[in-house]
Amino acid sequence: MLQPNQAAIDANNLLHVCLLQPDIANRKYGPALATSLPAVELVGDSLSKLAYDIRPTAAWDNGRPVTARDVEFTLKLMFCPGLPNEVARNRYRFIRAVLTDLKAPQHFTLVCRGQALEYVEASGDFFILPEAAFDPRGQLRRFSLVDLQKRATTAPPDSALQSLAQRYQAAEAGHPGQVPGCGPYQLVKWEKDRYLTFRRKPQWWADRLQPVPIALQARPKQLDYVIIPDAATATLALRRGDIDVYPQIPAREFARLRASPAAAALNFYSTTSYDVVMAGFNTRRAHLNDALTRQALSRFFDAAGLLKATQLGDGQRTVGVISPIEKENYNDSLALIPFDPAGATALLRQAGWQRGPAPGTGWTRKSANGDLQQLRLAMRYRAEGSLFSTVALQFQAAAAGLDIPVTLQPTESGAFSSSLKAGDFDVYVGVRKGNPFMFNFTPVFHSLGIDAGNTTGFSSPASDQLIEAIAAADSKTHRSQLLRRFQALLQQEAPIVPLFFLPNRIVASRQLTNLHVGSLKPGFMATTIERVPKPSAAP
Amino acid sequence: MLWLGLVGLTALLAAALPLPYAPGVPDLAHVAEPPFGAGAHWLGTDALGRDVLSMLVFGARTAVLLTLPAAVLSTLLGALAGGAAGFWGNKARLAVPYWLLAGAGAWWAVRFPGVGVGLAVAAISLGWLFTSWWRKRELASWPVPVNSVVMGAATTLDTIPRLVLVVAVTAGTGVSVSGLLVLLTLTSWPHSARLVRAQMLRVRTLPFVEAAQAVGAPAYKVWLHHALPHALQPLRTALPLSIAGLLGLESTLSFLGIGLPPDVASWGRLMATVRSEPGAWWTFLFPTMCLIISMISLSSISQYRPSAASS
Repeated sequence: MLQPNQAAIDANNLLHVCLLQPDIANRKYGPALATSLPAVELVGDSLSKLAYDIRPTAAWDNGRPVTARDVEFTLKLMFCPGLPNEVARNRYRFIRAVLTDLKAPQHFTLVCRGQALEYVEASGDFFILPEAAFDPRGQLRRFSLVDLQKRATTAPPDSALQSLAQRYQAAEAGHPGQVPGCGPYQLVKWEKDRYLTFRRKPQWWADRLQPVPIALQARPKQLDYVIIPDAATATLALRRGDIDVYPQIPAREFARLRASPAAAALNFYSTTSYDVVMAGFNTRRAHLNDALTRQALSRFFDAAGLLKATQLGDGQRTVGVISPIEKENYNDSLALIPFDPAGATALLRQAGWQRGPAPGTGWTRKSANGDLQQLRLAMRYRAEGSLFSTVALQFQAAAAGLDIPVTLQPTESGAFSSSLKAGDFDVYVGVRKGNPFMFNFTPVFHSLGIDAGNTTGFSSPASDQLIEAIAAADSKTHRSQLLRRFQALLQQEAPIVPLFFLPNRIVASRQLTNLHVGSLKPGFMATTIERVPKPSAAP
Repeated sequence: MLWLGLVGLTALLAAALPLPYAPGVPDLAHVAEPPFGAGAHWLGTDALGRDVLSMLVFGARTAVLLTLPAAVLSTLLGALAGGAAGFWGNKARLAVPYWLLAGAGAWWAVRFPGVGVGLAVAAISLGWLFTSWWRKRELASWPVPVNSVVMGAATTLDTIPRLVLVVAVTAGTGVSVSGLLVLLTLTSWPHSARLVRAQMLRVRTLPFVEAAQAVGAPAYKVWLHHALPHALQPLRTALPLSIAGLLGLESTLSFLGIGLPPDVASWGRLMATVRSEPGAWWTFLFPTMCLIISMISLSSISQYRPSAASS
């Protein structure tokens, strides 16, 4: 569950199975560990019950069946003190109880606060972990889910919870594959920053299903993930046949490869994605805690130029975090934020900033308590690749034109996440990954997410209320209206600057077949891939 | 010499040169543009849209303003340390109050708990010194193993490859330009120290040094005015090679992306951009040529002998 980034989620998808999983091809959630989508029962006007059945064939590697107890344990583990699960807690807080039935161990009902539209998908979108492996004595059963959710951070430590947290963290830290899963693959070899090798379990429970749903297909006997930080090296590896699939290939490499003679042996895929390149301001910093200053700084980003330079124009500009391809939810009445340094000057003056008389003196203003604030920024971004470097350089150059110094801080991927969490930045550039199903922004924009997933530290009573209303919306039309309002609010408050949605580019060897490519992360399904059979030699 | 003069002049005048583009400003309409293509980028642009010519010019400034001071400072540090080690060996002695003062200073620098203890030791030392001066008493002294300390430090530094040491320090925390200057200086002095020490071991036995000691000149004056100037001769050859070594080290660090801040132009950083745009040969060729010619020129200077040239 401790998943620092998308790559970790992709790897975990091979080891674990959720109740429901999205289908890349038709962009819909479908049953995976569950037999079907949950049966929804609305109780009064503030509760809903979602009834699930786990597939009877679903089993752990030791043959023990996956039961409702495992689901209950997994949900409780999310709220177990001592585990850094803040994002999961904010995402699954709406589930208040798991009702199990001793007579039907694979049937259970989730009791949810509210009657939101997206509960169907959200309630089944987490990996199920085995209770027997982590909590063989069932110590977590002493606590109800609500008890754990309401447990104060100042509550006296419980030895059972502490030892459980330690056991789980020890399993995670020792070996990523040590956490047992009911997924189709096992992590057999790995080396940090080099490679991961997954081998298919010889007897996986889903093999007994007829037909095997696409979400549960596991055709390759072995999957090797090679970590190649350098685009040129990865391209060379693809040309030489050392790798079969190159996902998230940079635009220029994609174009160059497509025009090269090597293209004859490759298939090229390009789809839309839900990954938005954006900048975020640290609103906890005194000089960035007002919307006018953030709006002014937003105008230093040349999103159109950056889209052309880094993606060769392929991708979509956006007004917010909702993709323009989601036409019913995208707020097309908002204007795109222009690249407008002159307009930024006017906004800065409105925000109370005054430019010094001599070049190099920068901008200053007096705060409410009389302190002199200086407008200077430290911009943090991931060091790898040229996308973020180009955005950072462009912003720095535009700001320098108005005498605003920007210090660039390219940061290694792991350190980048911890720096954002620690609030060690003024501005950051990154990618936010989304999907078309769930719009629960609590982890990333709600006050509950501050010091966890809410990296900008932005929140207000109005935005909190709107986020809660979106998460609890009971109809598509209502949710769409709220989402449009939320996009307008974010543009007004400008804690983030969404620049453009990235395309999903994948290049694969022509020797592969059954490669499903789509807009949902991770952009393709590795588990359905097969190699084209070699023609048998003539007798 | 002509090339090095040109590089030096370019470095000095970089900010005043009428370059069409600033070095750190990406031209988003012309990314990875070849030389003499659209957009008046005479030597093309790199993978981020930065003008190659501007980066070469400002990279020359970085090379001169970073490696020259670092080489001079490290040579100076090495000369003083090696000169002292060669002249005094392990026979120098230092009055006890000075030892105590040094200890108090170290206490303060290392920030040991109890600042008062350090201050008290410093006060006692100063009182001791004043009393001795007042009563014209000779102070007790302890030996200072200058040679062992200097050669031990140099050997310790030499045991770790310089690139590894600098990479380890810079990659962990990141450094500013001034920080990198200090780091290069502190890791580059052993070679100069060894050369000067070896020369000093010969010079200190020469008659004119013995004569100066015989007339009662203080040891530090004999060292500074008589012995050291003669012991510095090997540095005439070593300094250009030290600059070349530091130029290569700075370029390597920048190529690896762990040296200078990302907005400081550098030949090594420009060379590194070819990794994200392998077809942009111009981002590799031009800085490599600058680096090679500079290295060869510095090597030629180190071999230059004025007497041979005049004969």
